[in-house]
Amino acid sequence: MKSVFSKRFRSALGLVMLSVVLSGCASMISSAATNLSKNLSSAILNQDDPELVRAGAPSYLLLLDSFVAGSPDDPAILAAGATLYATYGAVFADDGLRASRLTTRARRYAGTAMCEVHAPACDWADATYDEFVASLDGLRPRNAEYLYTYGFASLAFLVAHSSDMNSLAELPKIEALFNHYLDIGGDELNISAYTFMGQLLTLMPPALGGKPEIAREFFEKAIVATDGKDLSAKVEYARGYARLLYERELHDRLLNEVMAADPYQDGYTLSNIMAQEDAAELLAAGDEYF
Amino acid sequence: MELAMKKILLVALALIVSLPVHAAVTLKIATVSPENTQWMRDLRASAAEIKTRTDGRVVIKFYGGGVMGNDTKVLGRIRIGSLQGGAFTATTLASQYTDLNLYGLPLIFDSEEEVAYVRERLDAKLQQGLEDAGFVNFGFAGGGFAILMSNTPVDELADLKGKKVWVPEGDSISYASMEALSLSPVTLPLTDVLTGLQTGLLDIVAIPPIGALVLQWHTKIKYITELPLVYTIAFMAIEKRAFEKISPADQAIVREIMDATYRKFDVVNPKDNQAARDVLLNQGIKSMKFERDNYLAIRAVLAESNKALGAKGKFSADMYDEMVGYIAEFRSKQAADISPPPDVSAANK
Repeated sequence: MKSVFSKRFRSALGLVMLSVVLSGCASMISSAATNLSKNLSSAILNQDDPELVRAGAPSYLLLLDSFVAGSPDDPAILAAGATLYATYGAVFADDGLRASRLTTRARRYAGTAMCEVHAPACDWADATYDEFVASLDGLRPRNAEYLYTYGFASLAFLVAHSSDMNSLAELPKIEALFNHYLDIGGDELNISAYTFMGQLLTLMPPALGGKPEIAREFFEKAIVATDGKDLSAKVEYARGYARLLYERELHDRLLNEVMAADPYQDGYTLSNIMAQEDAAELLAAGDEYF
Repeated sequence: MELAMKKILLVALALIVSLPVHAAVTLKIATVSPENTQWMRDLRASAAEIKTRTDGRVVIKFYGGGVMGNDTKVLGRIRIGSLQGGAFTATTLASQYTDLNLYGLPLIFDSEEEVAYVRERLDAKLQQGLEDAGFVNFGFAGGGFAILMSNTPVDELADLKGKKVWVPEGDSISYASMEALSLSPVTLPLTDVLTGLQTGLLDIVAIPPIGALVLQWHTKIKYITELPLVYTIAFMAIEKRAFEKISPADQAIVREIMDATYRKFDVVNPKDNQAARDVLLNQGIKSMKFERDNYLAIRAVLAESNKALGAKGKFSADMYDEMVGYIAEFRSKQAADISPPPDVSAANK
């Protein structure tokens, strides 16, 4: 029963957050760095060669470590570090040990950031499900960005540790977290939370109590909210929902739309290129699956 | 010469016509196991290997996540030929072969070691019985013991009295056993159990730890009682008529590969179950244990209930006696030692 959700989050733990990471950095460092960060964010998100990002991003991980070392209690810097480490660990680290190390650091940074802004979060590591859910109630919109970062880093961590059953046990907490985030996210809501919710809610089939119809609504919200520009939402809709319910027509339609779409969309190019790679694999394996 | 050639051709033609024809066969198999689990990955890998080794003559397609409906529906689909088999638990096919109920009789076993001793002696007979009932199978994968999970501590018989306990649909043995323990059995589909625990419709469920984790029931319980309540098994069964459409040589390949897959499950499952039990404790769930006297008391109640179920034809008396005989044999071999209180956690190691 291991690896219940191992590959499913890889592509959706995409690169949407990089802009937040780097603009987050920008608010903390000099104006010169602000420009650098904004330009870098744009350059990465619009890069069409994932290998180039894989090779180049580690330098910025070290840069963020140096910021954290200089301001270990600054939640904004910690959150920025958490996000970049989570992204790199989940998406680009093919080696399991590296993914584990990188996402462990991501979660540690995210946990420390949450602890700085919301005292009950300092006890989350040992909290029962009920205690965790109760502590979410105290979170307000001003904490939403940190909550999202903790959820994002946690998902990356759980994916990297999917052979550990403790990860399986934590999934309901992360689902509760993103549910609360959607309640308090307001206008600044990160759209990828919809895709994460869709993925979490399609881990369990309806015959075992899962609620894929609610998941479908989340996937569709993610697609609508980005005007269909974020192709990873469609890929996860196909992989999570259509495969779960053996709806081949929907599966193939979504993936063919992804393949036919222009991946060069501002802010989504890199994740779209990777989504198209995934879509091609899923389509090729369709006959075998269905 | 020409006549001779014609004769040869005619004989050859007659031979070809009389040979059994084994066209490519597709076996559609249903299971409730969710996609993206290791089980499903292993089953799909086995199917891929079978397809390769039979040069595409045998294709196995799996329909996971219970998408083909509940057990009754799956059996109905097998009868009409839209499915050829399924991955089942014992209860499901007990209607076709009652002795599948034997391993799952409540508190019939004290430990995994005891189960192993009995299974070594009885598995082959049960497998053959299932084949005789019309279902080709590839051995049993033990799923570990279902243990009690609750919102209030349970460590003696009195703690159970009047509590509402979940019983799976169609599981008449569990229903009768829970009644024998003065519990109030509530029959619900699997899909409604989590809500049942949340709303107070249920106080207690019994399931192996790995099941509780996958189904997320661990979010709604506070205690586990480490009592080896019900030993669970799972297996794949394919309708014999469908299987016999495969050539004998290809049947052997299917059996070889699927036997190995189920042997692997049988080895891995207890380890996973043990890991899952530890995870439940990591999540803040408390472990309860029955003291020896309390354990013997509850076992005595269930032993009587089990016998009564046998009298009602829930399993054959001969096989039950044989199983109980092996259990007694195992216990007598252990008799030199003073038996420690039953401990599922140790038993599963």
